[in-house]
Amino acid sequence: MPRVNNWQIGRTMSYWYSESRPNRQFGAVFDINKCIECQTCTLACKTTWTTGRGQEFMLWNNVETKPYGSYPLAWDLNVLKKLGPQTWDGSTYTGQTVFEAAPAGLRVLGSERQTIDYNYPNVGEDEILGKVDRGGSLSIPQQMWMYYLPRICNHCTYPACLESCPRSSIYKRPEDGIVVIDQSRCRGYQECVKACPYGKVYFNPSTGTSEKCIACFPKIEQGLQPQCFVNCIGKIRLQGWISPPEKVKEDNPIDYLVHVRKLALPLYPQFGLEPNVYYIPPVHVPDQFLIQMFGPGVAKAKETYRNAREDKTLKGLIALFGCTERTIPYFKIVGDYAVALDDNRREIVRVPIYEPVIVRKAQDRLYQIMRSNTT
Amino acid sequence: MKKTLMILLLVLMAGCGGPIIDTQQVPAKYISGALPTEDPNSSLWNDAPEHPAKMMVQDVTEPKLIDPGVTLLKVRALHNRDWVVFRLEWDDPTQDLIPKSGSSSDAVAIQFPLLQGSDVPDAAMGEQNKGVRIWYWKAVWQDDDERAKAGKGDRIATLYPNAAPDHYPFEAEPLKKDPKLQAEAARRYAPAKASGNPILVRPNSGPVQVLMAEGFGNTTPTGTQPSAGHGVWNSGRWLTTIARPLKGGDSLGTLETGKRGYIAFAVWDGTKQHTGSRKMRSGWVPFILDEK
Repeated sequence: MPRVNNWQIGRTMSYWYSESRPNRQFGAVFDINKCIECQTCTLACKTTWTTGRGQEFMLWNNVETKPYGSYPLAWDLNVLKKLGPQTWDGSTYTGQTVFEAAPAGLRVLGSERQTIDYNYPNVGEDEILGKVDRGGSLSIPQQMWMYYLPRICNHCTYPACLESCPRSSIYKRPEDGIVVIDQSRCRGYQECVKACPYGKVYFNPSTGTSEKCIACFPKIEQGLQPQCFVNCIGKIRLQGWISPPEKVKEDNPIDYLVHVRKLALPLYPQFGLEPNVYYIPPVHVPDQFLIQMFGPGVAKAKETYRNAREDKTLKGLIALFGCTERTIPYFKIVGDYAVALDDNRREIVRVPIYEPVIVRKAQDRLYQIMRSNTT
Repeated sequence: MKKTLMILLLVLMAGCGGPIIDTQQVPAKYISGALPTEDPNSSLWNDAPEHPAKMMVQDVTEPKLIDPGVTLLKVRALHNRDWVVFRLEWDDPTQDLIPKSGSSSDAVAIQFPLLQGSDVPDAAMGEQNKGVRIWYWKAVWQDDDERAKAGKGDRIATLYPNAAPDHYPFEAEPLKKDPKLQAEAARRYAPAKASGNPILVRPNSGPVQVLMAEGFGNTTPTGTQPSAGHGVWNSGRWLTTIARPLKGGDSLGTLETGKRGYIAFAVWDGTKQHTGSRKMRSGWVPFILDEK
C-alpha cells in the first residue's frame, strides 16, 4: 500500500492510493467561539440541496453540542472506541489512523450506521459538562462548559469515503479538491457511509445511492463561498484555499490561520484523513477534551486567540469572516483596515479592524432615567 | 411386524421423491413450449434436476466478506432452445426489499463467461479482456414494480408510512397544476435519477439487470440483453427465477445445446448488509443444455 505524507499527524501513513494533491484545495476555518448553534447554516444547506424525497433525515451541514451531542448518533465515539487509546509524541501522531487500523478484508476502520442514528440531530443539545477552567463570568455552584460544533464534509486530502468505494464512484476534483460522489455511477453499496469517520456521507433510500456535501461547488466555481458560510449570522466561517506546509503563502487567509499562526486546527487529525475544515478551538473548554478532538496544538491556539485583540493582523483577518459572499484567496492589512483580495490581489472589500467604541453614561440626562445595559 | 416395516419403508420412499441431484453440473432440462420464467412455483420445476451449489465468501478483493452468509444455493434449470430459465433457492430468514441505512436489498445473480470454452476467466467477476455477463435479480427492483402496479406508495412511503415531512419544494402550490413542472422540480433533488443512474433508470424492464464486468469495480449495465425473472419469499426461503435467451443481442456469451459451458452464482443477504463484493459466491460450475 502506498505511503503518503500527512502533515497534520507529522508523518507518512498508509493509504490505498498514492499521494495526489489537487491544483488547489478547498479549505475553511470555523471559529467555534462565535457559534451560537442557531442552525441557520443547517437550514441554508437544507433548503439549497436536500429537500428531496429520501433526503428528509439528511443534514450535509449540522451543528451539534459537545460533549454530548452528535449527528449521526455517536459518530465520533464509535471511531474513538474502535481505535482505542492512541498516542502523540509532540506533534507526531504515534498511534494508528483509521486506514492503518483497518480490519482484515476492509480498506478502512469504519462504523456501522443504522437508520436510527439519524433520528436525533439535536441529541445532547445544550447539555453541559465539568468546570470552566479559568472561572466563569458569574459565580454559580456548578461551573460547567459546553460548546457548539458546526460540521460539513471536510473534503479531506485522504478521504476514507473515496478510498472505500469499490467502484471508484467518488473522486476529488483536481481543480478545487472538493470530494464528490458520481451520482450516475454509485450503486448504493454504502461503503462510504460506513467508512467516513465523520459520518458525513448519507444513504438516500429513495434513490438507493449515497449523497454528501458538495461544498456548493457551483458557487465555488463562480468565486463565491458556500451557502452555509454566507448565511452564518455569527460570521464564524471563512472559506478559501489551504496549501500544504511547504507551499504556505502568508497572505492566504487560511494558510495564515492554519500554518502561520496555528490558530485553526483540524478535526480529529489522528483519524488520518487530513481534513480541510479547521477550527479555532473554544477557549473556555478544558485542554484535555480539546486535545483529543483537535490534536496537540490546542493550548497554543487558545493562547493565540486570547491575545488576538492585541494582534492587528489576526484581529483584522478574523474581521473578514462573513464580510463578503466572495471567496477570499488573499488579504492584507492597510492601516486600521483588513482588506480582502481576489486571485489577482485586487480588492474585494475592506473592513475596519476596530469598531468605534462609545461609552454612554449610566444616567441619561435628557430623559432623566438610568440606562440599563441590556440588548 | 414385517408388513408394518415394509409399509413404512414405502411411505418413506414416496416421501423421498425429490429431484434428481446432480452435484457435478447444472443440467438444463429441455421442455417444449413456454418456460416458467416468472413462476418459481410452477410444477414444471418438479422434474428438473437440481444442482446444490456450494457458496463461499468473497474474499478476493476488499471489501471482503468475513462472516459467511448463504452457503447453499439449490439450482434448477429449464430451456426451450430459445431461452433458459434458472430457479434459485436459498434460505434467508428475513425478506429485505428496500435498502436503507444499515441494510440492503436481497439479491441473487448468475454469471457466464463472454467466451464459452475451457479458457474461462476468473470466476470472481472475470478479468480484463476476458469479461463476464451477469443476470442480476434484486428484490427492491421487483418490489418497485409491484408497488407501482398496485398503485401503492414509493420507497419512502413504504419505509416510513407514518412520516409527515414538512415540505417538498416540488409540492409547492404553483407546481401542482403542472405535473411536468412538478416532476422536473423533483428531479433537481434526486441527482442520481437526473443523471440517469442505471440502478434507478433501469435499462431492462423487470427486476433483472444485465451487467458486464471485466474484474472487480467496473460492473456496467449492458441494457441490450433481454432478461426476465421473479422472486417469491416464503417462510424464510427465497425461490427466484432468472431467465435469459440462449442468444444475446450480440454474438458474445451465446449458449449452445449439447455443449458444456460454465455458470457461477452469487447471493446477497440484505439484513447482513451484503452489497457489491460483500457477497457469497460460487466458482465456475459446469453447465449443459439438454439436447433433447
